[in-house]
Amino acid sequence: MRHILGLIIVLLFIIGFSLVLIVAGNYILPSHEIGMLAKYYLYLAYNPWQRNFTVMSPEAVTSIVWDFRGLDTVFETAVFYLAIIGSIALGRGIVKYIKPEEEELGLSLIVKTVTRISAVMIIAVAASIALHGHLTPGGGFQGGATAAVAPLLIIVIFSHYYLLEKGVTKDLMLFLRSLGLTGIAIVAIIVYLIALPQGIHAYVLQNQPKPDSSIGLPAYINGQLISGTLWFFNLFEFFAVMAGFTIVFLLITIPERAFRKEEEGEKQ
Amino acid sequence: MISLSTYLLTIIVTSMIMNLALALYGIFFKPHLTKKIIALTILGDTANTFAIIVGYRRWISPHSPSRPPVLVDYANINQEDLVNFVNTAVDPLPQALVLTAIVIGLAVTLFLVFLALQIYRLYGTLDVREIKRLRG
Repeated sequence: MRHILGLIIVLLFIIGFSLVLIVAGNYILPSHEIGMLAKYYLYLAYNPWQRNFTVMSPEAVTSIVWDFRGLDTVFETAVFYLAIIGSIALGRGIVKYIKPEEEELGLSLIVKTVTRISAVMIIAVAASIALHGHLTPGGGFQGGATAAVAPLLIIVIFSHYYLLEKGVTKDLMLFLRSLGLTGIAIVAIIVYLIALPQGIHAYVLQNQPKPDSSIGLPAYINGQLISGTLWFFNLFEFFAVMAGFTIVFLLITIPERAFRKEEEGEKQ
Repeated sequence: MISLSTYLLTIIVTSMIMNLALALYGIFFKPHLTKKIIALTILGDTANTFAIIVGYRRWISPHSPSRPPVLVDYANINQEDLVNFVNTAVDPLPQALVLTAIVIGLAVTLFLVFLALQIYRLYGTLDVREIKRLRG
């Protein structure tokens, strides 16, 4: 019975993909032209002559992520948040771990020295990726994912306890992540909050002025392009993603020894 | 008349469909949870590559390549440059969707890995056939 079911699934799969292959020749293969919608996005990403429609960000991808389709990204952040929450819920209860008595933890001195230098460089590059997200390819998501590599390296090379002794605990990271998420929520409604006392109506996730709403965050501050809300979104998303990944790395590398002790305690 | 670039692009798309089929096979028929997770990441990456390929713009000639959707010299831009940019840049929308999908996929993968780790700690196995037989 199960073999027949498997056979039917494989058959349906082949038939379905044959259909996709027919279509592939016409649509999946890239053509010389792109869609009309994509052209509008490219045209309006940075366009000083259309101030009521533009995002004022030369990076079309970031302007889509946080302005044209900002609501999508807010929901994606919610999915990210739930995945991290799921990991924390799975890891509850295993919090007591005692540092072992051996003197030297981690890898050799050479590796540790190299890591000391490169971890700082990783954080610097990640901050650059995140804070220039509205100018060059990059943004909060990529910067946060890059920055999370530094604690992972430190955990592998120095040991789990080194990071905890330096103050990078789960609670601190939870606080940072909540700070990032609160920041995203505030930036999403900040134009609305500014417009409210002036009696002008504005939209959630609004960045630059719209035809029926003359208010928006400034695109330039002191001659520097920050593209209104995009810079703030990238900054807060950077913290949320970096702290979220660090929490999971901290939980996933809890030494097996600590878990065994917990389990024995439950049995007694 | 079959052009060489069309043929090469068809090879890419066909191999990606094969990749997708292999990943689905791994998810459905491999009994080990780690292998299922690896197959799932391959599936996600293949789907992302599909999205990027859909949004790619083919080169008009070998000497006029398509550009990434980033305006480099935005300070001294004029209308003509902007129109030229719109007519040569690739589609930014799939890239924006893939960008978030990669990070979300990493978070979900980490969650699944942690789940598998806890299953191993509690049951001592990662074989789904054995996990199914366990009670309590």
